[in-house]
Amino acid sequence: MRKCFALIWLFIIILLLAYNIDLIKNKRMTFNTNILSLLPADQQDPVIQTATDHMFNAVSQQVAVLIGAPNWADASRAADAYLAVIKTHPDLIQTTQYSNADLTAFDKYRLGLLTLNQEELLKNQPASYWTNIALGSLYSPVIGLKLGTWQDDPFGLFSGWLQARAQETPVRPRDGKLFVAGKKNNYAVILMTLQKPAFSMSTQKTVMPLLNQAEQAAQSSDPNIKIISTGVILHAAAASNEAHKEMSTIAVGSLLGILLLMWLAFRSFKPLLLIGLSISVGCLGAFSICEYLLGELHVLTLVFGASLIGIAQDYAIYYLCSAHQELKKLWPGLILTLTAALVGYTGLALTPFPGLQQMALFSGLGLIFAWLTVILWFPIFVTPNTIKVTNLAKKFDNSLSRWPLFRFNKKGLLIILLFFIFISVGLFKLTVSDDIRSLQNPSPHLVHDQIKFSQLLNAPTLVQFYLVRGDSEQMVLQREEALKLQLKTGYQAISDWVPSIQRQETNQLLIKQKLLFNHGPLDSLAQHIGENSTWSQKVKNNLLKSSTLLTPELFFNMPASQPLKFLWLGKINNTYASIVAVRGLNHVTHTDVTLQGVQWVDKISAISSVLGHYRKYMGHVILGAYGAILILLFTRYRFKAWRVLMPPALASLSTLAIFGFLGIPLELFHVLALMLILGLGVDYGIFLQEQSRLPNNQAWLTIGLSAISALLSFGLLGLSQTPPLHAFGLTMFLGLILVGLIAPIFRNTNGY
Amino acid sequence: MKKFMKKLIFSLLLLIFSGSVFASAPIAQIQAMLDKSPILCGNFNQTKTLIGISKPLLSNGTFCVNAKTGVVWKTLHPFPNTVKLTRDDITQIQGNQTVMQLSAQQEPVVKMINSVLFSLLAGDFSQLDKTFILNGNIKNNTWHVSLVARDKALAKVIGNITLDGNTHVNKVMIHESNGDQTLITFSDIKNHA
Repeated sequence: MRKCFALIWLFIIILLLAYNIDLIKNKRMTFNTNILSLLPADQQDPVIQTATDHMFNAVSQQVAVLIGAPNWADASRAADAYLAVIKTHPDLIQTTQYSNADLTAFDKYRLGLLTLNQEELLKNQPASYWTNIALGSLYSPVIGLKLGTWQDDPFGLFSGWLQARAQETPVRPRDGKLFVAGKKNNYAVILMTLQKPAFSMSTQKTVMPLLNQAEQAAQSSDPNIKIISTGVILHAAAASNEAHKEMSTIAVGSLLGILLLMWLAFRSFKPLLLIGLSISVGCLGAFSICEYLLGELHVLTLVFGASLIGIAQDYAIYYLCSAHQELKKLWPGLILTLTAALVGYTGLALTPFPGLQQMALFSGLGLIFAWLTVILWFPIFVTPNTIKVTNLAKKFDNSLSRWPLFRFNKKGLLIILLFFIFISVGLFKLTVSDDIRSLQNPSPHLVHDQIKFSQLLNAPTLVQFYLVRGDSEQMVLQREEALKLQLKTGYQAISDWVPSIQRQETNQLLIKQKLLFNHGPLDSLAQHIGENSTWSQKVKNNLLKSSTLLTPELFFNMPASQPLKFLWLGKINNTYASIVAVRGLNHVTHTDVTLQGVQWVDKISAISSVLGHYRKYMGHVILGAYGAILILLFTRYRFKAWRVLMPPALASLSTLAIFGFLGIPLELFHVLALMLILGLGVDYGIFLQEQSRLPNNQAWLTIGLSAISALLSFGLLGLSQTPPLHAFGLTMFLGLILVGLIAPIFRNTNGY
Repeated sequence: MKKFMKKLIFSLLLLIFSGSVFASAPIAQIQAMLDKSPILCGNFNQTKTLIGISKPLLSNGTFCVNAKTGVVWKTLHPFPNTVKLTRDDITQIQGNQTVMQLSAQQEPVVKMINSVLFSLLAGDFSQLDKTFILNGNIKNNTWHVSLVARDKALAKVIGNITLDGNTHVNKVMIHESNGDQTLITFSDIKNHA
């Protein structure tokens, strides 16, 4: 019977292995590295969600490279070398061709198109001002770049408007390329669009070498060339690289440490192999089923998988340390530890974080698989004769009797009082931080390039913007115009290109009233240059012809609208929405703007507040888990159940207090670690409680081995450069030491 | 207002040519003929013939080209109007009122054109040759050069430019593609070495 189950289990494991081999063979293994996907979908406002997604999608597939040299010709040549490499892989990267935006398309709308400044001047300047402006342009040395003839735009209003539009970006066409001038260097601007998802690791693996190769080609054309690269994929690739390196460090480090530890305890390779086997099966099962159910795993889920090693081994170690007992007698302890851990993970799965749900599923499955492996296979491999603990290990286990014991006497109460003061002061000093930016640790080089790029291109920020809504397109445009009056400068909006119909009509009226009326500036201009009223009537009629009203639909059919499409969200559900982008940080306090239908959206602070919300939420989950586990334990230990929960509870409180004294602000990932402290601490409490029913089960040895090996794996997480993992690892490090030291204090004073 | 900017950029280009010299065979000879003083000042007369306006528009004034500080183009008649160019900005003054000021920061082309101007004044002709196709000939101590922008879009807007001169540029003629014509003649040019 026992052998029959073991065989069935073997069959299942072989199936899973085959599934994974198939995944690798067909290159279907993809990992998600986008930290934002770990956050819950913001369901409170679908328009905001759409807007932020829209902004994110607009940039996530873009890669922009600036190639600079003091001499434009050198920069241009290096850019050609760069492009030659990129163009060998049109399946991966498409370069954005510079197309001469045909501004003549605006011609028939020109009477309604004015800049804010022009409106002001028309309202306030006397007629003579406009006559002089027109004469100035007429007599100026040369009539240069313009659309049409001088009479088409005698007051320079349309060319002024076009100039203002052109100044939205410092990028200019030059010799068939895009060009931007820096302080010392002239840069060629190369815009590229990835053809495959930037967050997919396989994309990163193929695109990054191509970009590097292109960079080298540019460098070899001129070694002094300056290259500035930006793009979401660069950050994503750097992050996954780091995670990859860390994952192998954590896996190898924790494995080596655990191997050494086990060797000291058992002086045999068999326990090592068995523990390794249960852990491997756990990881295999967790990965296969998650992959099958979710399609794509987040890289952080995998890193958490590495931490799973620490917990899954509890079952194997418990079994091995008690190999001389009958399995039957170990059942309660094994079932309780697994159930308690699963209860804890259920709490995680209940959070709205997709990443946490994934981690809960992954870890829960891993534990179940490892546990089943212990139950089904270990009895076949392990007999009391094959596994023996070393004398060193026995000595360690016996040391439990010398460990202090908590009693409700004077000394015990004094310790409680001191501990209470310590915890109170520590918790009082504890601060919190939910800044999303502290969760990412981009390389200084990438950050430097990003800043330089934004400065050179005067690019608007994409994580902070105004969201403008209305019942119709025109209402959105009118609300944008109201907003722009308050902002004055430093924005980018569709209504700059397409004023509302209302605004176009007032603009037309303004031009008619201020410039084209009888004996007005146009007529006196005619007089100055020796023309008669027939001439000015002709010019007037010609100007009035260009009074077609421009609508968003017409605008978006023009090629010139291409780079601005990201600002227009169009119809979402039953409302229309657009984005007014802002530049730089030296800006009015955005939250001060209170206009109907206008909302300041700050994705960074929005995410940070979500993080804060769930840090608190997680805290509640942990409290709930303590309650649920207490009920679970009560069914077996009755009024001694509290002894099981004391070690993790006190260790967690102490860890928090230490953070308070060290000035480390509490983050979501610290709280997450406290959850695992609970899981491990409960295991230790259970082992100690079981000992009183099952003498010689070597509970202390089990705890020691488990705690030290968990410390090894989680301690390594503390070394991680990824801030959330560092926070997690640090908490685990402190918490595990404390829980290991505190656990024996609450063992039973009398055995059964 | 800002319309001037574009015109000014263009006039800048002209001043570059009037104050300097050109590469390639006959161009190199013309270059040798030209006065290379760091400061050149003189008078100008301008005649513009625009499509749709029956009478030619006449104006005159003075100009100064300083290799170090920039260019001042001062129209005196029919009404005062001054344009100043430095390495990084362009200013237009009408009467005592600044009607336009544009920096390279606002309009990157300003810097590009200005850098062409200043590199030319410094004797670096590679830039000019890259922007324009130059054709020149010399007859009896006077020379004639025609310029066509290499960039087709630019050529379409600027049209054709010809320069005539001896030790200085004496005459600039611009034929715009829309039919407008501008003739500028220089006189009384003095160098302040």
